Amino acid sequence: MNTGTLQLTPEEQAMLQGEQGPAVQQALRYQIEVGTFFGATRMVPVTNAHFMGDIEVMGDAGLAHLQAMAGHGAHCRVDTSTNARCMDFAAAGCLGQDADEVEKERKVIRILRDMRMVTTDTCINYQTVYQPKLGEHVAWGDTGTVIYANSVFGARSNFESGNAGLSAALTGRTPAYGFHLDECRLGSIAVDIRTDLLDTADWGAVGKIVGHPNQDYFAVPVFEGVSDMPVSDALKHLGCSLASYGSMAMYHIVGVTPEAATASQAFGGRQPSQRISITRDDLEAVYASYRYVSGARNLVVFSGPQQSLLEMRTLAELFSGRKVAHGMQVFVTTNHAILADARRLGYVDALEAAGVQILDGVCFYILQRLSKIREENGWTNLVSNSAKIVNTITAHRFNTVLRRTRDCVDIACTGALK
Amino acid sequence: MTIRIQVERAWGEPVGGEALVMREGFSPRYDLDRTTGIISRIGHSAEGESLKGKVLFIPTVKGGVAGGWAFLDILEKGYAPAAFVFGKINPVMVQGAVLAGIPIMSGWSPDAGPAVRNGDFVRLDPSARTIEVQERRRQ
Repeated sequence: MNTGTLQLTPEEQAMLQGEQGPAVQQALRYQIEVGTFFGATRMVPVTNAHFMGDIEVMGDAGLAHLQAMAGHGAHCRVDTSTNARCMDFAAAGCLGQDADEVEKERKVIRILRDMRMVTTDTCINYQTVYQPKLGEHVAWGDTGTVIYANSVFGARSNFESGNAGLSAALTGRTPAYGFHLDECRLGSIAVDIRTDLLDTADWGAVGKIVGHPNQDYFAVPVFEGVSDMPVSDALKHLGCSLASYGSMAMYHIVGVTPEAATASQAFGGRQPSQRISITRDDLEAVYASYRYVSGARNLVVFSGPQQSLLEMRTLAELFSGRKVAHGMQVFVTTNHAILADARRLGYVDALEAAGVQILDGVCFYILQRLSKIREENGWTNLVSNSAKIVNTITAHRFNTVLRRTRDCVDIACTGALK
Repeated sequence: MTIRIQVERAWGEPVGGEALVMREGFSPRYDLDRTTGIISRIGHSAEGESLKGKVLFIPTVKGGVAGGWAFLDILEKGYAPAAFVFGKINPVMVQGAVLAGIPIMSGWSPDAGPAVRNGDFVRLDPSARTIEVQERRRQ
């Protein structure tokens, strides 16, 4: 049988011959095609998979593929969580999402559960579900999760989108190319941070400054000069932004991340292809680069990625005692686990009293039928503290503006587009 | 005049088609209206262009894992391109193209950016890792 550039173990050869059923056989065949493209010479076992697939992005063809794999007896061999979805069923009707797509989305979820996936519906599995260890190989299917795994945990994953994540879940392994290999993990761009980074939006802005002009999956920025120990939410926004603007899957922060005790460890003898420095003026230039356009109805969105419990608390504090202004709407998205805890802690009450709408198990930019919903509501400007979402949502023709968290809340509660 | 471009990596069956050359990175999530197959991001170098049947030349990729499903989705909807040719690539584009059965290449030499123009007819041979720019309709 054709195994491309890969040398298979006896167990993998048996899989390829169908001894573990047609779903595993088909999954491994697909992995061989993708692995051969990148010149992988072996498969590597993974401990954990994270699957991205909702009806908006899969379409009917993706659903049919999933049904076919289920029919072939697809069954997850390793623990597998699921990414944020395109619908919060409690809000789908109010938002104006399609009823027949709602039913298909329910069907997708049923199939995934039958395959033994844990349908967590979250893009922050690394904060709430599973934290792999240094050197642990995983197969995660959302760019923000992958860059966090590689950079912050020192775990090893490539972007494993859609069927790639599913295939890894079914075979328990993935082709060993890219960030599974030592040589790909060395730094290639030197970044000197010469300013304090005080808000998650500042970290996202840094990701844009570095990622946008250097779009390259295999580029690995190395940050130096970070004065205070960054918290998880800061690293999450940096990573999501680098992945979004630059398609990057790994970064190092010297003295912070586990494969960068020193700059020389981070670069591993490699010469940086370029050196970038980032000052306060550079950060302010990012914020100044956005322009509002005239529109009576505008959004402030805290999403992309979903909010952590600590971000929910910060928002609850900032919105407490205030009201969302006329002409403004505010959306917050998080996952089921965090929402339950945020409710218990009173954060949900504080946010809802201010008129904030919370969506559960979704990310805002992947909502089904979003372009039409935007038109129907007359939404023009979308303001966010997420550098990622102001980039990812643009196919839906929003005019997007990046602002710091506190400024976003002020804009939401005054209606003043500043 | 025929120009030959070599690529580092390639997958799929031989294919020919009209070139659509993008001047910036691409993501099916950020840039494409997947209900019409038309580039919808305001200000994208190919804004308003349909991908249908075209051989896409794309210098770099942006983030996002949507491509893993999106290429199969637009294939079923009838808007799929004939092939993808990337300067720099990420795994998502390969994973999506293989699932959809759409030929894909990456790592071009010489740079296809200046060498290929919209409307040129190009022929891709993935097994030989070559692209021939066969017909050129230049003003």
